[in-house]
Amino acid sequence: MENPSAESSAPTAMDLETAAAAAPPRKPQVLFAQKPNFRPLKAHEISDGQIQFRKISVPPHRYTPLKKSWLEIYTPIYDEMKIDIRMNLKARRVELKTRTDTPDVSSLQKCADFVHAFMLGFDVIDAVALLRMDELYVESFEIKDVKTLKGEHLSRAIGRLSGKGGKTKFAIENSTRTRIVIADSKIHMLGSFANIKVARDSLCSLILGSPAAKVYSKLRAVTSRLAERF
Amino acid sequence: MASSANGGGNPSGLEALHRLASTEPALYLTQSPELSKSARIASESLFAFLNDYVPKHVLSRLSTEGFDAEQIWQQIDLQTQPLLSSLRRQVRNFEKNPSEIGKQFNLDRDGVKEDNLRVDGKNKETDSIESESEDFDDDDDDVDEDEEEDEEDEEEEGGEDDDENDEGENVKGVEDKFLKIKELEDYLVEDEEREYGVKKEKGNKRKSGKIADEDGEDKNEEGDEDEDYELGLMGLGDDGSDMENARYDDFFTSQKKTSQKKKPKYDDESDGMDMDEPENDDSDQTKQSLSTHEKELEKLRAEIEEMERANLEPKTWTMQGEVSAAKRPKNSALEVDMDFDQNVRPPPVTTVEDTASLEELIMKRITEGQFDDVQRAPTLLNKAPKERKEMDENKSKKGLAELYEDEYAQKTGLVSTALSFSDEQKKEASMLFKTLCLKLDALSHFHFCPKPVIEDMSVQANVPALAMEEVAPLAVSDAAMLAPEEVFSGKGDIKEETELTKADRKRRRAKKKRQFKAESVKRMAVKTQLSTLKKHENVAGNGES
Repeated sequence: MENPSAESSAPTAMDLETAAAAAPPRKPQVLFAQKPNFRPLKAHEISDGQIQFRKISVPPHRYTPLKKSWLEIYTPIYDEMKIDIRMNLKARRVELKTRTDTPDVSSLQKCADFVHAFMLGFDVIDAVALLRMDELYVESFEIKDVKTLKGEHLSRAIGRLSGKGGKTKFAIENSTRTRIVIADSKIHMLGSFANIKVARDSLCSLILGSPAAKVYSKLRAVTSRLAERF
Repeated sequence: MASSANGGGNPSGLEALHRLASTEPALYLTQSPELSKSARIASESLFAFLNDYVPKHVLSRLSTEGFDAEQIWQQIDLQTQPLLSSLRRQVRNFEKNPSEIGKQFNLDRDGVKEDNLRVDGKNKETDSIESESEDFDDDDDDVDEDEEEDEEDEEEEGGEDDDENDEGENVKGVEDKFLKIKELEDYLVEDEEREYGVKKEKGNKRKSGKIADEDGEDKNEEGDEDEDYELGLMGLGDDGSDMENARYDDFFTSQKKTSQKKKPKYDDESDGMDMDEPENDDSDQTKQSLSTHEKELEKLRAEIEEMERANLEPKTWTMQGEVSAAKRPKNSALEVDMDFDQNVRPPPVTTVEDTASLEELIMKRITEGQFDDVQRAPTLLNKAPKERKEMDENKSKKGLAELYEDEYAQKTGLVSTALSFSDEQKKEASMLFKTLCLKLDALSHFHFCPKPVIEDMSVQANVPALAMEEVAPLAVSDAAMLAPEEVFSGKGDIKEETELTKADRKRRRAKKKRQFKAESVKRMAVKTQLSTLKKHENVAGNGES
């Protein structure tokens, strides 16, 4: 593959040289080794022409939402990322495959992350940010990682996290520009690194028992700082 | 003469006297012509009777017809004055020469003499009673004092007999069928008993035998001091030396031993007739038997005792110090008029006028709408309020991707995003404020604040500020005019003529010379050029011609 490109490029170099020589020779011509000028590799070429696959299993509770928002998932992946996507109903999996004209190597991984985020519980419109931005990450942790809680305490902790009607969760989301999914004991966060950190801190303090107002006050201080950066 | 005179005038006079004596004393207060007539007749008869004894006749008889009391009195006085003086003279004579008394009076008839004496005394007494009781009594007092002293010193028990003897002669002459000396005596005793009390009786009973005549005499001559005289005689008769050793107790204390009654009769008499009473021994003496002084003393004593008793007893509750309700009888505070201070101001009494004025004020305020509401003082912010993002507790409508998209677009400026609401308003506000400030500063002729610099291209005329001020109503600051450095068109350090040093002056001169030279050279050059041109022209012209 490289040789024809090198061959094709060689005469051009030569052409240039000859063109250069055609100019009135004021300075003596020096022959140097040609600096290779490489075209950026396609994704296909990076993997040596082999097609890559990703398989993401669908949990049962996300089956119906997947069916509902399939087209919203499919369209950006297939059209913009140029990745083949299909749903393996029998195995209950979403499968992704690179094409030959996939522009970016990382696009497959991005799509896989996007679908994975959807499977975790994030909305499509939130998860799409993963496709569009590089610096967004998904972080998950469990409540038991923070504090060992059992029975009612656990329930209360979960209640504290989400707040009445989910207002605490939304407050954190809005102030830190992240998205949070609370699934029983598991907590998933989507956003940029710093924002995730802030969100994680607030959630952990909530788990540990601090009241929501305290968390809010801390959030206020942080968000102003975060906003000032821009 | 006397008897005939007495006999002649006496019956009617005696009748009159009787009538007077028989009338009730109260009737004297009423105006009765009968009484006055009888009184006149009686006084006439007495006057006639006494006229015989007068040494010098001034009036032959007492004329009462048509005369008033004062005039009758004056007539009687005319008679009695010389009579009294003569009597005094006679008594003094008798004092000095007691023997003469016997000569004067008939010693044969003791009782008659005594009676006569008594009668004389009685007549005098009656006269004194009717007409001039006080004067006579006073005179009698003096007379009695003298008599007493003399008699005490000189006469003792023996003298009493002499007196008796002396008196016996004259008695017979006075007494007659009407006037019984004995009756007189008895009457006097009764009267004195009444006045002085039981003691007198006792004294009389004891001494009756001894000094009967003396009593008579004394009573005749003394008014109310019979007892005194008698007692004094009695006591002093026993111990004549007690005069020098007189003690308070002798006078003013009631002595239990009734045998010796030392009644001194001294200067205390000056207070009155009845002051020389001896003290009563008996505690159950009735008030009648007490003298005025004694009565007063009793009263005082009773008062003193009462006050002492009151002092010893516990005081009434009003007089005690702090009395609580328990210590005084029930409702006793209501009866007493208490006066006490209260620090508490009494509550204000609301009158109709007060309420009316208050209501008026209220209505006025309501109509005006002027309620004195407390208004919060506006707090001035010393710094701009921080822009605070409200914490949104609702689910965000935009997705995460959209959020970042918007942010990116804003940052790169692809989208002309509308400025935040506060920025627009801020700009507008600041512009408005600037214009306002300009106007305000113009009012103060820009002395403290220059015009805000609004950068725009405009030609500034270098007109002096003064001129501009004159023309325009508002002031114009001279800050917009050209600055001095802009006006100044020189370079380097400018020095004045006076500041130049010698070297500087030389330099300047040299410079000037150089310039002049350069100029001259130029002018020369120009001239030569012109000249050459002309030459060429001339040559050309010459060539042609």
